[in-house]
Amino acid sequence: MIDALCDRAAEENIAVAGLYCDYLSQQDQTVTNIMGVILKQLVGRGGVPKDVREAFQKGKMEFGGRRPRLADLMGMLKIAIASLPRVFICLDALDECLPKHLPGLLESLRDLTQECPKTRIFLTGRPHVGEDVQRHFSKAVVLPIIPNTDDVRNYVEMRLNRDDEPDAMNKDLRGDIVRVILEKISDMYVGALGVPTLSTMDTY
Amino acid sequence: MLDEDAQIMRWLSPLEPNDRHQGVRTDRFDGVGDWLLETAEWREWRETQGGAEGAVLFCSGNPGVGKTYLRQVTRFMERGEYH
Repeated sequence: MIDALCDRAAEENIAVAGLYCDYLSQQDQTVTNIMGVILKQLVGRGGVPKDVREAFQKGKMEFGGRRPRLADLMGMLKIAIASLPRVFICLDALDECLPKHLPGLLESLRDLTQECPKTRIFLTGRPHVGEDVQRHFSKAVVLPIIPNTDDVRNYVEMRLNRDDEPDAMNKDLRGDIVRVILEKISDMYVGALGVPTLSTMDTY
Repeated sequence: MLDEDAQIMRWLSPLEPNDRHQGVRTDRFDGVGDWLLETAEWREWRETQGGAEGAVLFCSGNPGVGKTYLRQVTRFMERGEYH
């Protein structure tokens, strides 16, 4: 019990950095910028570290103000991570990165996990990027996400409760709406991915 | 924040992570994705100690599911219940 409490206290200082990749800003989502935004979040918590400030001042002196290079950022990231108890990096919608950036991005993440074992990485994306992920992290845990029946039902119920014309609704219609949506979603996922049916997913 | 600190933040990356995070908070829907924390995959990832290979959990799915689960996981991590 005491161990559990100590663990918990130590973990309260966990640092979380993440980015929702977005096809609208694909051009800006270079490996360098993504590593930069992770670093920005990690150092933003406790004041700018000395090495980061120095690198900035050095870059500013150069002609036109040089932007940080990937190698610079990786070095600064490793230093920043070393000072934190545990770091958790999340990148959502990897498939929205440009394909030309993806291998470099995964390579940089791999480099980080190799040198900083306390880094854990949570990625999401369409199934096809799974191969890229596994090429770089052969033991990556892959979890297919399928909307769970309860999640979908709760969501539909919530939307129905917000209906601005409640007089037009009755119990049967309500029941039909929920049933048809659940069936459609089940067909969609089973058909598209060849995954277990929603009823088997209920065991989660 | 000092002026130079703000400049340093912009210099590190032009990307701003918080823009969409705000949106995610606004349309939060409690309870969605709780099952993720009960899966064997989640436990396997959580319990793997060190090493680059097992450091990654990849949730594969169609657009829209990611944010929900990511938020769920983030909330879990921020509660300090990791490990």
